[in-house]
Amino acid sequence: MNIVVCMKETPSITAVKRFTSDMRLERRKEDAEMNPFDEYAIEEGLRQQEKHGGQVTVLCMGPATATDNIRKALAMGADRGALVSDPALEGSDAIGTARVLAAALRKLGFDLALFGSAAADSYGGVVPAAVAELLGQPLLSNASRLEIADNAAKIERAAENGYQVAESALPALVSVIQTINIPRYPTMKGIMGSKKKPIDTFTLADLGLDAAQVGVAGAKEKAISASPVDTQRKGEIYNGNDGAAERIVAFLVEQKVL
Amino acid sequence: MANDVWSLAEIANGKLTNVSLQLASKAAELAGQLGVSSATVALGTNTAAAATELGAVGAKTVYAADGAVYDDYLVQPHVETLAALVEQHQPAVILFAVSNYGRDVAARLAARFGLGLEYNVSDIAVEGGELALTVPAFDGAQLVKASFVGGGTKLVGARANAFEVNRSGGTAEVVSVAAASAPANGAKLSAPMGAADAGSAGHLAKAADGHDYWQPSASQPKLEEAQIVVSGGRGLGGPAAFAQVEALATALGASVGASRPTVDDGWIPYAYQVGQTGKTVKPAVYIAIGISGAVQHKSGMSSSRLIIAINKDKEAPIFAFSDLGVVGDLNVIVPQLTEKVKQRKGS
Repeated sequence: MNIVVCMKETPSITAVKRFTSDMRLERRKEDAEMNPFDEYAIEEGLRQQEKHGGQVTVLCMGPATATDNIRKALAMGADRGALVSDPALEGSDAIGTARVLAAALRKLGFDLALFGSAAADSYGGVVPAAVAELLGQPLLSNASRLEIADNAAKIERAAENGYQVAESALPALVSVIQTINIPRYPTMKGIMGSKKKPIDTFTLADLGLDAAQVGVAGAKEKAISASPVDTQRKGEIYNGNDGAAERIVAFLVEQKVL
Repeated sequence: MANDVWSLAEIANGKLTNVSLQLASKAAELAGQLGVSSATVALGTNTAAAATELGAVGAKTVYAADGAVYDDYLVQPHVETLAALVEQHQPAVILFAVSNYGRDVAARLAARFGLGLEYNVSDIAVEGGELALTVPAFDGAQLVKASFVGGGTKLVGARANAFEVNRSGGTAEVVSVAAASAPANGAKLSAPMGAADAGSAGHLAKAADGHDYWQPSASQPKLEEAQIVVSGGRGLGGPAAFAQVEALATALGASVGASRPTVDDGWIPYAYQVGQTGKTVKPAVYIAIGISGAVQHKSGMSSSRLIIAINKDKEAPIFAFSDLGVVGDLNVIVPQLTEKVKQRKGS
């Protein structure tokens, strides 16, 4: 089975977040890590490969330096990397990103394409469905369980008062949530082996995409200004168990919610 | 009509979600400011009842397509119907809920027509005849003002409880639309599973791998729509202690929530997770029990009107953004609090 896992670089959760002069999130190389949500997708790709055989490719759109984070996925066990990198891609919005990933998935070919449910920079979670639309495919989104059998993918996903089961034929696109598995850590052997694994790089031209469709040129949204949020709270502290319940009730009454 | 303000309703198992009413109310308000009309698209079963509710909160027109196909497949039939309506009527903007459903529909529509899409929007205003959006950034520490570039219908994904429901509407004109046909290559849904639990009280249940988890009551308010949320964290010590959280929530008429570590440890289903990777809530009161207040959690609840925290660690970050912080033992305080709330409510 040919499995492709989409992976993004995002600033680490502890990195200081700043805007660039044109109001985009500043992405510094030293803060770039594998989007934590994508670790679950990579792990799921490896687990499906263990069951069904085939190859796992990690696909990333990012700067040339993103090979460092692709190598981390290769150290976990993925077989090869694919990096789409082009100066024209900077400032892409979700749909621009989806155009690139869809074109790359077409070029690579796949039986199963896996995505994390969102990226830890914008928390949009819209790229997987946009890629599916561009490929004319269904998306099995927010999977908490995935089973491949009889040339079809079947997922469980959370719903009101229980869960839903959804199914689509292969080739299938699936986004996964954090409860699907526990991602493995790379072993020393995996880290050593990752250095020899191939990473193919693609430019926009390689994918047959027009620069006007991606990057800042293709983005249809614009951030204008930003202001810090006033998070000032009353900040009353009550110490100890005695009288605590009474104080909370009195507070709720003062605030007219009880 | 062209340039109207639309919203997409979400009908889950024949029932309109409350967020749908919030979006329809906001669409009507924006339409008034822009001097255009408002409409809501309702796709699913039982759309006649939905249209009545949507009219009452301000929708002038409801485009309704009734069909089981919308319950049988994930979003593709919905996108087909909505896309045809958009091509025909060219609305100025469509408001979506940031839910699994709203996200997937909006993403597909944006990809299909090359439309602008803003998500996680917490407010929308009209400034100089244009839409001005407010989008929280950097884990809620900053508010970004954003707008769209170029023409075409603009898609706005809004957070639950971003807008109030305004019941000063009337009766919507219902325009019936033919239901989409089943997709040749679709994501087919089985009937919701686990529904046998519906109506049951909160209880400890056994997961497939044999571990215990807390299954909250099926009759509690929807988490993202609740006016009071009582959430539990790792300080509870285990899934059984969610019984205390649930008892307090029941006494207050609140919903049960949870922090990510408790979900990761399998103490409670993912559907109850509040935070960046779970649900964003904005209740009148948020009570955090045994939750340290990591940034992942904070960004999902920090816009609550009032925050009360109970934690034994006086250094817990949550106390820095609480209105009332209680440093003490949750096992002592929570049962007492539940009793006092019951007494106060006379039940």
